[in-house]
Amino acid sequence: MSILREKILATATTLFQTQGINSTGVDTIVEVAGTTKMTLYKYFRSKELLILEVLTHSHQDFQKWLNDKLNSQAKNPSDKIQKLFDFIEEWVTSPDFIGMGFIKASAEFPNEDNPVHQLSSEQSRQFRQYISSLASEANVQDADGLALQLSLLFEGAVQAEQMKRGSGAMTYAKKAAKILIDGAPTK
Amino acid sequence: MDIFKSQWLIKMLEKSSNTPQGRILSLFDILDDWLTAPSIHVKITPDTAHNQQLISYCTEQALALGASHPSMLAEHIVLIALNAAQQEINNPGSRSLGHAKKAANALILAQTQKEWPLLKAVNYKFSVYGVAASLVLLIGIMVLPSLIENNSLFSSQATASKNDNTKLALLNNTNLSAQDASTMYAKYEQMRNGTCQFPEALQIPDKDRAIYLENVVGGKLPTNLNDLAIANIYLEKVRCNFTPMLMAHSTS
Repeated sequence: MSILREKILATATTLFQTQGINSTGVDTIVEVAGTTKMTLYKYFRSKELLILEVLTHSHQDFQKWLNDKLNSQAKNPSDKIQKLFDFIEEWVTSPDFIGMGFIKASAEFPNEDNPVHQLSSEQSRQFRQYISSLASEANVQDADGLALQLSLLFEGAVQAEQMKRGSGAMTYAKKAAKILIDGAPTK
Repeated sequence: MDIFKSQWLIKMLEKSSNTPQGRILSLFDILDDWLTAPSIHVKITPDTAHNQQLISYCTEQALALGASHPSMLAEHIVLIALNAAQQEINNPGSRSLGHAKKAANALILAQTQKEWPLLKAVNYKFSVYGVAASLVLLIGIMVLPSLIENNSLFSSQATASKNDNTKLALLNNTNLSAQDASTMYAKYEQMRNGTCQFPEALQIPDKDRAIYLENVVGGKLPTNLNDLAIANIYLEKVRCNFTPMLMAHSTS
């Protein structure tokens, strides 16, 4: 990937998260990135494609970070699912947290036919699937059900945190997640 | 009609249960019923800023529940309900609202189950007292033989007088003994290791409520035997689950 393309992508990621996707115009992106519209459109044929690229990269980065953390610091499948919310809480409460791409995008593009909404929904589903696979490895009977409960807790807490920084919602979501995990029947 | 903004939903919640927890959790049942009802035009605004009336109602219920952060709990639960309803609309039959209800219930527990911050202090005090008691015992062992030899403490008169004083003290003294304190401490410690469901404070008679909140929910040792007896009655009503089912079946 060219350095300029990377810079446009990084700038757009920050601006979308801090100012909102719809409120950030292409003019602002090129100005902050120190480039031109022509260059931006050379790499991304439209703003919509740029948004989709930003969402894809953000989600990949999040999944990779979470996976690396769990693989390096959790001892076994049960430990992985127990630690999931510990790491998420660390991330959400860190001063550098600027929001979760697919959650913000889903709120800004509520129309189900919109490609941005569709990608956000798909990423939400992928995250739920990821939790389900952790639950399944930990022998939870209803892995999909537990994954749905945990993802609803997680997404709600991130939304609350996006609305009000330092809300503490993730701390209680973590406690609730532990109650659900400990109470989930296993095979 | 956007159901999350409707007065109808508040009315339905109000009559759904006699308890604040029941009224909050009914949100998910009502939404589930509503989504499957015939001739309903489904409309939801995925933005809590437009659902202040519902959030305010849930905040009142959370306050009555004794939640640590009522407004945060209310907002989080409404967000969960919104997301679950949206998922149910997108994937009918996914049972999203049923799972959301479980998540909300866990969130209520997380905000109403008390931490045990006092236990660390109590634990520390017990350690200090333990060390002190050991020292006294050690000194006693060293000094007692010489006292017995002098026979100064064990006259029959002295013993009789001491027995009377002890009886008197037992009649008047309502302080907890070390045994009482350590028994209570063991109960607190045991509860801390489980997931416990406490009876709602509003169901406790007014005269006992302060003791219940302080000595059962708050985990603070009662200061006298009367309070201890009352606290023990309510400790019996706390239901705890000590089985970490997931951990029990985990493979390393």
